[in-house]
Amino acid sequence: MEADTKTDSRTLKVNDLLKDVRLDYDSLSKLVGDAVSSIKEAIDGIPEDFKVTSELAPNFVKDIGADKVDFSFKKPNGFSLCGSYSICGMAKPDTCVDLLVHLPKECFYEKDYMNHRYHAKRCLYLCVIEKHLLSSSSIEKVVWSTLQNEARKPVLVVFPAKKVDQFPGFSIRIIPSATSLFSVAKLSMSRNNVRSVTADGVPEPTPTYNSSILEDMFLEENSELLKKTFSEWKELGDALILLKIWARQRSSIYVHDCLNGFLISVILSYLATHAKINKALNALDIFRVTLDFIATSKLWERGLYLPPQSEIRVSKEEKMQFRELFPVVICDSSTFVNLAFRMTSVGFQELQDEASLMLKCMEKLRDGGFEEIFMTKIDYPVKYDHCIRLQLKGKTAVSMSGFCLDKECWRLYEQKVHSLLLEGLGDRAKSIRVVWRNTNQDWHVESGLSVLDREPLFIGISVSSTEKAYRTVDIGPDAENKIEALRFRKFWGEKSDLRRFKDGRIAESTVWETQQWTKHLIMKQIVEYILKRHLSLSSDDIVQLVDQLDFSLDYGGKDPISLSGNLLQAYEVLSKCLREIEGIPLKVSSVQPLDSALRFTSVFPPEPHPVACEKIDSRRLQKLLPSCIPAMEVMIQLEGSGNWPMDDLAVEKTKSAFLLKIAESLQNVKGIPCTATEDNVDVFMGGYAFRLRILHERGLSLVKREIGVDPVKHVSSTDKMLFIRSQHASMINGLQGRFPIYAPVARLAKRWVSAHLFSGCLAEEAIELLVAHVFLTPLPLGVPCSRINGFLRFLRLLADYDWMFYPLIVDINNDFGRNDEKEINDNFMSSRKGYEEDRQNISSAMFLAAPYDKASEAWTATSPNLLEQKRLVAYARSSANVLSKLVLQEHNDSVRWECLFRTPLHNYDAVILLHRDKLPYPRRLLFPSELNQGKHVARGKASRLFNPFMPPGDLKRSHEELKNKLMVDFEPTKCLLSGLQEEFGTLKPWYDHIGGDAIGLTWNKHNSKKRERDEEEEESNPMEMLKAVGEMGKGLVRDIYLLKPPRFV
Amino acid sequence: MKETRKLKKTNLPEGETDGKRVGKQIQRKKKVQVSNVELNEQSQDTQQANSSEKPKRKKVELKKKIQKSKEINSSPVDGKLNGKMKKRKEKVGNVDISEPNLEAISTKIVKGKKGKMSKTKKKRKAEEISSAKVEADHLKGERKSKKSNKKRKMDMTSTKENKIEEEEDVYQISSGDEDCTWGMKKWVTDYYEGRPGLDELQKRIDDFMTAHDERLEQEKQDKEAKAAEGGWTVVVHHKGRKKTTETESGTAVGSFSQAALEDKISKKKQSEPVAHGFYRFQRREAQLNEILSLQSKFEQDKKRIQQLRAARRFKPF
Repeated sequence: MEADTKTDSRTLKVNDLLKDVRLDYDSLSKLVGDAVSSIKEAIDGIPEDFKVTSELAPNFVKDIGADKVDFSFKKPNGFSLCGSYSICGMAKPDTCVDLLVHLPKECFYEKDYMNHRYHAKRCLYLCVIEKHLLSSSSIEKVVWSTLQNEARKPVLVVFPAKKVDQFPGFSIRIIPSATSLFSVAKLSMSRNNVRSVTADGVPEPTPTYNSSILEDMFLEENSELLKKTFSEWKELGDALILLKIWARQRSSIYVHDCLNGFLISVILSYLATHAKINKALNALDIFRVTLDFIATSKLWERGLYLPPQSEIRVSKEEKMQFRELFPVVICDSSTFVNLAFRMTSVGFQELQDEASLMLKCMEKLRDGGFEEIFMTKIDYPVKYDHCIRLQLKGKTAVSMSGFCLDKECWRLYEQKVHSLLLEGLGDRAKSIRVVWRNTNQDWHVESGLSVLDREPLFIGISVSSTEKAYRTVDIGPDAENKIEALRFRKFWGEKSDLRRFKDGRIAESTVWETQQWTKHLIMKQIVEYILKRHLSLSSDDIVQLVDQLDFSLDYGGKDPISLSGNLLQAYEVLSKCLREIEGIPLKVSSVQPLDSALRFTSVFPPEPHPVACEKIDSRRLQKLLPSCIPAMEVMIQLEGSGNWPMDDLAVEKTKSAFLLKIAESLQNVKGIPCTATEDNVDVFMGGYAFRLRILHERGLSLVKREIGVDPVKHVSSTDKMLFIRSQHASMINGLQGRFPIYAPVARLAKRWVSAHLFSGCLAEEAIELLVAHVFLTPLPLGVPCSRINGFLRFLRLLADYDWMFYPLIVDINNDFGRNDEKEINDNFMSSRKGYEEDRQNISSAMFLAAPYDKASEAWTATSPNLLEQKRLVAYARSSANVLSKLVLQEHNDSVRWECLFRTPLHNYDAVILLHRDKLPYPRRLLFPSELNQGKHVARGKASRLFNPFMPPGDLKRSHEELKNKLMVDFEPTKCLLSGLQEEFGTLKPWYDHIGGDAIGLTWNKHNSKKRERDEEEEESNPMEMLKAVGEMGKGLVRDIYLLKPPRFV
Repeated sequence: MKETRKLKKTNLPEGETDGKRVGKQIQRKKKVQVSNVELNEQSQDTQQANSSEKPKRKKVELKKKIQKSKEINSSPVDGKLNGKMKKRKEKVGNVDISEPNLEAISTKIVKGKKGKMSKTKKKRKAEEISSAKVEADHLKGERKSKKSNKKRKMDMTSTKENKIEEEEDVYQISSGDEDCTWGMKKWVTDYYEGRPGLDELQKRIDDFMTAHDERLEQEKQDKEAKAAEGGWTVVVHHKGRKKTTETESGTAVGSFSQAALEDKISKKKQSEPVAHGFYRFQRREAQLNEILSLQSKFEQDKKRIQQLRAARRFKPF
């Protein structure tokens, strides 16, 4: 039953997708016809027997190393349309139609298959065509490109002058074909056809080079065969489109050394001819079968052989030879060409992994994974944990022994880098992908091949596990194993070190020493060392995307998380003390942490303060001491009792009384200093301030039992909140233990949210849940294993999730069953009930369901509201785009990275800037804010009463006084904000609760009816209002700017 | 419209002649120009203690000038604007006058600092441009951002010139160190006053509790007295064995331990599968329910697809 609906809604969606993506071939064919005839016309204008020499593209001819390339031009033997257009398998936005130009035999000599002569002539032939196309008026422009990134096989892309809006960017790709130009036997895999390819003077076979020529020779034939298979089988064409969409979304498999549209259609036709699929299947089924075939079939090991056209059978020896020479074999029906000769084993591995992941998606995810498979873009930054770019522009080492041998130099370099990293990183990396795209848009064959190194080489690494990646010692071979040890030493150079290990083993090893909190930099260190050592690159050439975001977590020069050990110790001592307290009516039965610092997810866990201790060490009072200390909340439970009062107020008071008793006891018996207000009790312990809260168990048991049963029963909301928070704290704590990268990513996410002044919209706990979702539901990707990757995926989740129509289910301990999901969905539907009537009228604009909160009541019930959520999504989207660009493109200056956290202040109606030296923790400030726009409404002087650091004079006072001076959880910004909320309902503040010096203000929308009445009044209001706001924040407010007065729509 | 008007207020050169400025800003929207004119007068207004008649006439003249010289076509909005603006101007003018003394002083100070300020401005500009990246994406499209950068540059040059005037109507807020009704002083005092020491707090709670108890006692007595008055006794209905469990009045049992509760729940769960689906009608009902829920889900999906279609979400590019 379930499965049926799943597929049903998916089929609906897939059909719609196909409808949107398919091209209208009726109108396209006319366009193609016109374009082709104008191309033919232009080519017809070429004078017969035109003498062609290497002068047309001397650099190209020189670079591929060909000689004797002159020929006299003859008209092509014919033209034929091929590729996806001819089999109706084109998918938007691709509107490029392939046109084969059959090269005439008269232009070639029998032996032109040697030494790149064919390639040179092929290129020159295109040069001639290009010249004449350019002079044609019906052609707008002609661009050079290459066939599957193979630089020695350029193709022409022709853009007709006639444009049709329906097909933006319509172009025709001119591909030369070389049917029966050469003898097939001469190009057999075991022959050498490039004389310079030798090993110790003995010529080596050149299978890749040979395949490159053979491919052209059978282009026409293969295209005809495909046409035959795909015509009259609509579903097959649809499946092709689906597969294309899927592959195109994944940049790691739709590249030159892996899949392309042609290969997909070949695989499909293989399946069709071998009866793996039949006509009863629909497109989606074929899609699934194909993926399954790619992921699991044993046939890949043997090689795929399309049924031969003629009587020739592929002999066993030939098969063996193919297998030995190429990692993947897809032999065409001529039996001579391996169509997958460009595919590398790494590329194929990646393809298989992707395919099996997709099968998992189809099985497990909502709507059969439709969104994840077809709609989610999986580019390098989101796919790989550790991205590296090598700038190799102008590095001659790459092409030292020539640009084109059997393989091209760039492919060889890719291989070299890959094998180096594979050896250097060992089991730290799950997979390493090295891709170097050569052609860029404005390439022209005249400039030769030396300019093709302009794009950086990209390396993507998937980390196998954080533990392995963080390992500090790599143990190599035993000292006794001389050969291995020598090899190891040669690879690692001075880094290798003979060491004696605990188990008595003496072995070569490498040690990567680093601090506890910088272990994520170990891989970076290794990669840089290897690449520098073996490729003689400089540090500037190697751009590794690892620590570029760390600046945002920096506190006074280092990551404050390094002090968390102390913090946990202090907490342990405290909880022991609390449980030991005697002499209070009810004993403390349990102590639980609530604050995020105690689960490593606080952006800035507090640093120990010398004054907040049992005994103050006067020696440590020398330096600059902060005058404020944040309080961390800790929840305690007391023994059960029936003597609690019945009403809320009294319960709260009783709690306070208990807390005071506890404080008294701590102070008097154990000598632990405490300070208290009417609502809070703060305990100083080991340099930290802990704030105690009591959970009243009666409230708790009621929470568990669903309040709805009896409306008279009333759960105190304080207790409910406490209970939820404690549940959340323990679940997140468990999660960060399971995923070591979780905590840093959560901290980055929190920093980002608050840096863009969203602190008031999205609770910290909600952010933790969002990040948890990234880790718990990683499909269609693996679990993130690096900060940048995790952070990017958090941003994309925020930006791309369909918040309006789906609840986000965060199943932390994997304990949601079907009933739970139904319950959540029902809750969700009721929160969206109002939507039909009024689009603004929904609660929980971001519906977050967690095990302890299936109705999204805890964190996102009221905020963000729909407007805030939209703003949040827009910011996340733009940040995600900036971040992906930063990973992929050449800029690596820190300023651009800072942009991710620097919020544009002119997006608010008014802005309040605060005195930086009046913020309680000035070092948390990311960027000082300034504004040079808008109307400067007011300027305030700084108060002298409060300083974030204790004046040196105070340090000489008695310790008791110092303790009283120390302000616990004092945050002027918060005071100002609560004042704003009370007094100015029409102003909505946007702020950074971590420590920003700017508060954005927007005017809340007014009722249009009300407006008419109050128009007079309100028009003069904004200035007055902002001045009043300034008055309210006297001593803290530095400047107020007005950017936009209230708008009345 | 109003936005731009307000914005431009700060950017007005004081000494420049109207014609010159008009030329400079002519590329911008006409509305802005209108406001410029208005604003220029406003600065005069503030000095002259604001008479509404004169500036109005001037404005009309000026506008004519602009329209003639630069051939900007006017729209009906202008007419409307005039009326509104008049009102507004008066008000703003009044506001400015209320703080005249402070401004005079501040202007001088700022003049002295001007040199320094412009330097820092440049720095800021650099920062601003870099941060424009993020903003650019918000605006969708790089080209747009370039434009806005340019615009901003233009703005900046004019702001530099206009520094003095800008400062003139900036409202000054005192540090508030003398006055504890608002601001930092209040917050700091509140903080310390909120911590009178453990003993004092204990006392307050004790007081509250006694008061609270008394109040409860009083309420109870009142109730009894009321009941006794009519010779009736109010009987409250309690369902089942409510008294033994912990509900409103159930003090007898007190609280459950969490463990016991969980135990109970787990027991309940265990026994469920036996009872569930034991009878045929139960199974049938369950099946029916499931079908219904699936049907509704299917309907929802269909609806959603329609919505998606409207939003054109099926484009994987």
